[in-house]
Amino acid sequence: MSLSLRYDKVNKIFDEDSKHAVHALRDISFSIEPGELFCLLGPSGCGKTTLLRSTAGLEKISGGSIYYGDKDVTTIPPFRRNIGMVFQSFALYPHMNVFENVAYGLRVRKVDSSIVKEKVTDIMKLVGLEDVLKRNPAPSALSGGQQQRVAIARALVYDPDILLLDEPLANLDAKLRRYMRAEIRRIQKATNITTIFVTHDQEEAMAVGDRLAVLRDGVVEQIGSSDDLYNYPQNPFVANFIGKMNFFKVKVAKITEEKVDVRLNDTLSFSLDRSQYRSSSDLKTEDELLIAARPEHLSIAKQCDKPAIEGKVTIIQHLGHIVRYEVEVDPSYSRRTLEIDMEGKVAEIVEQDTVKILFNENRLTLYTQEGQQ
Amino acid sequence: MRKQDSSQRLKNFLQKDFTPYLVFAIPLAFLVVFLFWPLITTFLRAFMGAGAKMDFSRFGIDNFTKFFTSPLYQKSLKNSFILSISVVVFSVLIGVPMGYIVARVQIPGKKLLLSLGILPVIMPSFVGAFSWIILMGRQGVARHFLNIVLSPLGITIPSIYGMFGMIFTMTLTFYPFVFLLSYSSFSSANPLLEEAAMLMGAGKWRIFWTITFPLILPSLGAACLLVFIRSIGSFGIPAIIGGEEYVLPTLIYFRVNGFWDLNGAAAIAIVNVIITGAVLILQKYVVNKRKYETISASRSEQKLYSNAGVKILSSIFCIIILIVSLAPQITIIVMSFFEKWQGLFPQEFTLANYIKIPSASKTELGNSLYLSLIATFFTAILGSIMAYITERRRPKGAAILDLAIMAPFILPGTVIAVALLSAFSGNAIIPLGGTFTIIIISYMIRRTPYVYRSVVASLTQLDPTLEESSTIAGANWFYTFRRVSLPLILPGIISGSILTFSTLLQELSTTILLYGARTRTVPIQIYSAVADGKMGEASALSVILLIVVFIIVYAMNSFQGNKMVNSFKLG
Repeated sequence: MSLSLRYDKVNKIFDEDSKHAVHALRDISFSIEPGELFCLLGPSGCGKTTLLRSTAGLEKISGGSIYYGDKDVTTIPPFRRNIGMVFQSFALYPHMNVFENVAYGLRVRKVDSSIVKEKVTDIMKLVGLEDVLKRNPAPSALSGGQQQRVAIARALVYDPDILLLDEPLANLDAKLRRYMRAEIRRIQKATNITTIFVTHDQEEAMAVGDRLAVLRDGVVEQIGSSDDLYNYPQNPFVANFIGKMNFFKVKVAKITEEKVDVRLNDTLSFSLDRSQYRSSSDLKTEDELLIAARPEHLSIAKQCDKPAIEGKVTIIQHLGHIVRYEVEVDPSYSRRTLEIDMEGKVAEIVEQDTVKILFNENRLTLYTQEGQQ
Repeated sequence: MRKQDSSQRLKNFLQKDFTPYLVFAIPLAFLVVFLFWPLITTFLRAFMGAGAKMDFSRFGIDNFTKFFTSPLYQKSLKNSFILSISVVVFSVLIGVPMGYIVARVQIPGKKLLLSLGILPVIMPSFVGAFSWIILMGRQGVARHFLNIVLSPLGITIPSIYGMFGMIFTMTLTFYPFVFLLSYSSFSSANPLLEEAAMLMGAGKWRIFWTITFPLILPSLGAACLLVFIRSIGSFGIPAIIGGEEYVLPTLIYFRVNGFWDLNGAAAIAIVNVIITGAVLILQKYVVNKRKYETISASRSEQKLYSNAGVKILSSIFCIIILIVSLAPQITIIVMSFFEKWQGLFPQEFTLANYIKIPSASKTELGNSLYLSLIATFFTAILGSIMAYITERRRPKGAAILDLAIMAPFILPGTVIAVALLSAFSGNAIIPLGGTFTIIIISYMIRRTPYVYRSVVASLTQLDPTLEESSTIAGANWFYTFRRVSLPLILPGIISGSILTFSTLLQELSTTILLYGARTRTVPIQIYSAVADGKMGEASALSVILLIVVFIIVYAMNSFQGNKMVNSFKLG
């Protein structure tokens, strides 16, 4: 039976009484559904690991409550919570063989040794390590991917209510990482244990999670499915953290019932639907806004009839399925180098060429400047 | 509503795991009762009139003014300074070149030279001292020989008693610390740094003085500090070879043993500690300004000098040091088989020195073994738990705890003895004078740092997530400690304990003030045999002690590699 998990105004302040107090979590409130694979995503220092460790009880929270199902576990010490956790370093016991490592949680629970054997065998089958169990070596004799599986098996063998994964793939090489994230999803779905997966890699989070929470500076910026976050980011931070986003400074020219007209410069303006405006605050004319475009929603051309802004191609990278152009524009439009993805190489454009930049108007979004990186 | 709240709070409170607090309370109580309390009593006593009474009515600084009025006090203080500073200087003059040679020159027998480093561990310093008396004393064989050789030139070598003898034997006892520490930094320094200097056109001398030497300065500073602390606290060598020249530790012994003037001894102890503390702070200040981070990750193999001239000179230097270092061991082995050794050759071969041991020193052998074993056992427990508290729990004031545990490292053995006597002798609340217990406690206080450091080293290498993952798996603190932490820090506990045991077997400076008729140990027996001029008997007992300790240390070295000297380092 899997449990839901709920945070209610969770706060964490490190070194609370000292001058160097760090407010690591601020009023975190959300719920995770039973059986869900939930990703905590954010840049380093955003509080995601602190939230995970607080969920486990390894950190004492400074305020608020954490519920497993209906039970308030805030003050329950970690060893009474019945949770499983996989650490970034795997934390396998070097003085025990693989079997004893996996059996550890069962030994703690004083499970009968015949049942221990059965359960360990079953779980090792689930993580695909039956062969290893026959040789039963020390964990140091295993490859990184195998150690990872042992760590997962060890966390799952005693049927925990909640499974916590702290950057579990960070110690693996790139290829294995892609393979193991699919494996983690398979194993999680097979056991149906409510799981939190912490990572700083947005690609990994989008690939693994049912839902994601993006954290910044101890605050949840947005929660949703990968699709929601990619297509409907609520603010420039999330927009740029989940995939790449190009921003341009614009001014509001006219507001009507359905439309917002914005002006990029004297010759170029866009007329967008009100729904393309994603921030919550009210709009006024002459407001400074940001217009956001994914790399695939921009394109470049040597010549163009319509009014367009110009830029200089600095780098062309062939990435296989797309070609990425890095284009510098006048800093009054955008301070950062633009990234523009084209489906194929555009003939006649080479590095250092001046090009026209075209917008796919239907896919643009508008934000206030608040919260931009 | 409120009532419910408080009952909920009580329930939460009771759900906590209290085992760790209980386990930690005992060693903390031990420290308070047997370290803090004695140190406080010592401090108080220092301000009371001469004698052994705790008498608050006679409060004053008479004990300290003696350092300005009594010639004996002044002489002792001066001697302590001259002795310690000379020993540091000479140890550097021998140790640094030797470290450089062994690290950078292609010479044979490097392993043998490096194993010299464990000599101060397996060879009690007072044994070294009396073997030099056999060689260079009034009737000494080497002195005799040199006088014959040098007589045509009109030179006579003075006997070794006095300041020269103390500096000489103490330097030979302590230079290995400088040698080993500078060896390890010379051999681990990144050669790319020197190669870079060479490519920029610097000559060999310039490279040594501008690159190599500054980089080893921090560890050389640590080695010098260690030698200074050891020298100023050494009791055995001044007691045996000092003759009329007193130093602070022997002066303390003199006050306690001659006059039972605990309060006076306390004052001397405090002066001794202040000097040590001042030097420690000075060293920290100097070294902290010169701590360097390694910048580059890549490094190349150390290139060795293979120039024939350099090789020959280096070998000669090392051979001389080797001979002089091993002379005491050879001397006592030879001496142990003879009645007398006056003049060039030993006289009257005999096995009686050994045959006598079982009857004459049975109690002492038993006591040494008993006291060292019991003390080692408790030291292992105390040191491990302390290390665990400071390293894992990081309580507020961990730094003070750390300092408290390391303090006995700095405090000379005689000072610890005086502190314990101050607090527990005579009509104290807990009278322990003359018991086994007071010796065991003094051993524990003095050797806890060995185990502590060794365990802290293992703990810092132990990933805390190993313990966290055990907690997550549902294990309480004690289960985690038993199944995860303890097995993984056990090697650290064992090596710290072996070091403790082997050095306790040779302990003299604390025991000499605390022993009673029932609690005599082997070092005490050797010391009194030397005092009575029974060199044969003293040698035989020393040989036995040496063999036992050598076996233990050798076993440990093969068990954990040649890392022992690290256990002596400070901070």
